Amino acid sequence: MSRSRRDFLKIAMAGAAGAALAPGATRAADKSVTMLHESSFIKTFDEYMLKTLAPAYEKETGVKVVYELTSVGSLPTRISTVTETGSGADVTMIFLLYPFLFDEKLMDVGDIAEEIGKKQGGWYDAAKEAGVVNGKWKAIPHSNIGQLMNWRTDWFKEVGVTKFPDTWEELYEVGKKLKAKDHPFGFELGHGFGDNHGWLYPLLWSYGGHEVEADGKTVVIDSDETARAVDFARKFFKDCMLDDVLGWTDVSNNKAWFAEQISCTNNAESILWLAKRDFPEIAKVTDQAMNPQGPKGRFHLLNCISHSVFNFSPQKQEAHDFLRWVMEEKQLGGWYASADTYYQPFLHAYDNAPMWQVEPRNIPYRDAMASAHLPGWPAPPTRQLAEVVAKYVTVDMFAKACAGSSTKEVIKNAEAQLKEIYKTA
Amino acid sequence: MTIRTERLIGVRQAQRRRRPTSLAAWLDRESVFSWLMMAAPIVFLAAFVGYPFVYGILLSLQDRPIAKPGTFVGLKNFIRDFNDPIFWRVAVNTFIYTGVATLLKMVGGLGLAVAMNQDFRMKNLVRAVLLLPFIVPTVLSTVAWMWMLDPAFSIFNWFLIALGMPKPGPSWLGNPYLAMASIIVINTWRGLPFYGITLLAGLQTVPPELYEAATIDGASGWQRFRYVTLPLLQPIILIVTLFSVIFTFADFQLVYVLTHGGPQNATHLFATYAFDIGMGAGQLGLGASVALMMLPALALLILALTLYMRRQ
Amino acid sequence: MVPGMVTGQGRIEQAVRVWLPVGFFLLLALFPFYWMAVTSVKPNAELYNKNLMPLLVHNPTLKHYIDLLTETSFLVWTWNTLLVAVISTAISLVLGTMLAYPLARMRFAGAGLIAMTVAAIYLVPQPLLFLPLADVINRLNLGNTLTAVILTYPTMLVPFCAWLLIGYFKTVPKELEEAARIDGASRLQTMRRIFLPLCTPGFISAGIFAFTLSQNEFLYALIFLTKSSVRTVPVGVIAELIRGDVFYWGQLMAGALLGSIPVALIYSFFVEHYVAGLTSGSVKG
Repeated sequence: MSRSRRDFLKIAMAGAAGAALAPGATRAADKSVTMLHESSFIKTFDEYMLKTLAPAYEKETGVKVVYELTSVGSLPTRISTVTETGSGADVTMIFLLYPFLFDEKLMDVGDIAEEIGKKQGGWYDAAKEAGVVNGKWKAIPHSNIGQLMNWRTDWFKEVGVTKFPDTWEELYEVGKKLKAKDHPFGFELGHGFGDNHGWLYPLLWSYGGHEVEADGKTVVIDSDETARAVDFARKFFKDCMLDDVLGWTDVSNNKAWFAEQISCTNNAESILWLAKRDFPEIAKVTDQAMNPQGPKGRFHLLNCISHSVFNFSPQKQEAHDFLRWVMEEKQLGGWYASADTYYQPFLHAYDNAPMWQVEPRNIPYRDAMASAHLPGWPAPPTRQLAEVVAKYVTVDMFAKACAGSSTKEVIKNAEAQLKEIYKTA
Repeated sequence: MTIRTERLIGVRQAQRRRRPTSLAAWLDRESVFSWLMMAAPIVFLAAFVGYPFVYGILLSLQDRPIAKPGTFVGLKNFIRDFNDPIFWRVAVNTFIYTGVATLLKMVGGLGLAVAMNQDFRMKNLVRAVLLLPFIVPTVLSTVAWMWMLDPAFSIFNWFLIALGMPKPGPSWLGNPYLAMASIIVINTWRGLPFYGITLLAGLQTVPPELYEAATIDGASGWQRFRYVTLPLLQPIILIVTLFSVIFTFADFQLVYVLTHGGPQNATHLFATYAFDIGMGAGQLGLGASVALMMLPALALLILALTLYMRRQ
Repeated sequence: MVPGMVTGQGRIEQAVRVWLPVGFFLLLALFPFYWMAVTSVKPNAELYNKNLMPLLVHNPTLKHYIDLLTETSFLVWTWNTLLVAVISTAISLVLGTMLAYPLARMRFAGAGLIAMTVAAIYLVPQPLLFLPLADVINRLNLGNTLTAVILTYPTMLVPFCAWLLIGYFKTVPKELEEAARIDGASRLQTMRRIFLPLCTPGFISAGIFAFTLSQNEFLYALIFLTKSSVRTVPVGVIAELIRGDVFYWGQLMAGALLGSIPVALIYSFFVEHYVAGLTSGSVKG
């Protein structure tokens, strides 16, 4: 192809594709608020915002709401770009440790928090853990996506168990029997994100182990409590689980569940939800339960979704008002209900909402919130903690032990890593 | 000859239309012409690679948490990396991954090129079809491999069990050594066509007279290959290997989708680790320092390769 | 006689000599595609049934293909990917040529330096560049537009095209250009009218690989394109066919096939031209 012909084609294509290539239109004269959100596992949840809430708000106030969805896992990246460049969105969904990382760019929304808390029964303590940074509310907690036990009632019945075991040791005994019957357990020990932390941190806490103390400086992982938790994890893996879990990511246990490979795992409500839709026979024998307890109590992982307003946004007041409106009972209740309790509300007003009766098997997710904590608890959420989580320090400590290393060695390694990371604390 | 005359006539006609001026003569000087011609690409690369690169270096010398201003800390990030056992694991992983996969691709690619260097029907279709592993978006083929490596569904395990191995068969992604082997295999599968088809083009420029002469001198097929083909292919092998090494060393997608660095960091590479630190922990300076460490490592690899090949 | 052709006696020996090794590589390259094809037509119930022989389908269905095309933005992503790939490739070939021709043909001060710099640029890894590049892109107000990736993809494609083209340009004999210069043509004219038309096989080679790299790119697309309407296929499928911890396997595999087989067919068309260019004889004079 000669160069001139190539050039011509280039021009023709550019013309045809003008719309997709043009830089984003500058903000129109009338107000609009852009809300960033991670695309929801439950499609109807996003649709409720798009088709019901956004138009209703525009009708009421004249402010247009642009609901921008990012793919799962992309939200932190998108928020990073927005904060680094100072534009692109006004209010955003935010979760886990990110309110703390982005603290300086988020608006103080204590007024909304106080008002909503008062009107709707008060906040769960876990909510405060997730939204309050240095004494100020920087994020309005929306809901928890809990991580709880999923178990096969039919197979558990075969070994004589009709109620989910109360302690880890009891669960271990059941697991041994079930593995012998070719129905092993499957708990993630790989580099996923949710399912591994979802059981490993509660396990550690329920034996009394901590990474770092609440002062955010003292590394205390080398303790008898931690050693007991690690020893338990090792025998739990060896005697109850499939080998493959060492390489599992978050999708693996869902796949294994529907392939009827495993009889127990930890997960959010996604397994039951999908089972009811695509595998009704499996759904009938799937049930959900709170985590077992250890010698020092019963714990769950806090996976809190919140919303924050960017304080550098030119529309921050409009964004603030929109957020307050969304959190009002009329809007919030409808939004929760559209997702079948996949999102567990942090406000006590919803503890007995009708939506819980739609699928009573989800009720344990509500009860779990009282004992839920952020990864790394009791250490305060700081950049050091974020680094510990991103480097999978605790996950790999357990995983290496299960893969064969000695308890002493893995704890020493974890301690060295923690000390290195917290050196600057 | 006819073609050449036609072209000369065209040039003469163009020349008659053109009026020679001193400006034209100046533009025609080798250096002026060259620099003018290269101006656009140089500016583009300076803006979109040069500037970000310098920015990246500056970043690596700072403590720069996301959404917060940076503070200059000199080489502190690099010192932290050197004291980080995961960093060293990542370095070893990346070298092993790159080294073994490149070797496999080189040998396999040569084999493919030799096999394809024969005339047969449907050759073009076969050539295009062989490129499919390279064409299919890596994300999607990796997802397919994820399923193929799940012991419960894997055809490999199915065969091994049929041959007598105890159920459920090897855990391809759960065992650290097998996981590394798995990513090497997938990378090789994906990159072999690139090697093969490029080497094939090189093979096709070898004049047949050389083969004939060697045959007359009594050389066997293997000797022909070793003493005629390989030396002539050397420049192309070098170029393709360099590209392949660079791509593989900086690989991100495959590991990100398949194992995200697990099990226990056995498959973590520079790119995935830098991403986790930068985007996961929000430590842009530290992440940049890990990414930057790819450069000396890469430069060393390439220097070694070039020297080795030049010596041959 | 095609250079490098292996002569064999007898039809059967020919067939074995050709199809045994070629068949081996075909098997290696294609068995995952067989898997993808089989998975894309298996209904979910069969897909998750670990007791069935994985390579057989009992009740094939087109549901995954239909769902992919109707319930996701797959066609939009495919169009975006093609658009980006074609334009990026064109830009890269043009810029690559502008770099390669002087470096391959001209002697001038600084040539070595430029050549080394271009090679060195190739060493700069994407994971280092993505955040600063994000800054540049956002300052130009190009976030979430295809222009963002069209401008950034050539950063990895231009050095590659330049290298490949330099190598190729060097193999073209100089006689024609020299004759044109003697006859008074300017360098620009020589380059455009005499030299470049001879290099079509090189452009096709470089173009094919640039196109493939571009349509496969993931990291920049992940960072710059977060809205579904501007996504390319690699990030689009991750976004919508992997929701949380659920993979829509059947649709993913359908997408894999739909995204690659048409491209391969187009390549087979171009490859014919490539061969024609090589053997047309005008190159060797």
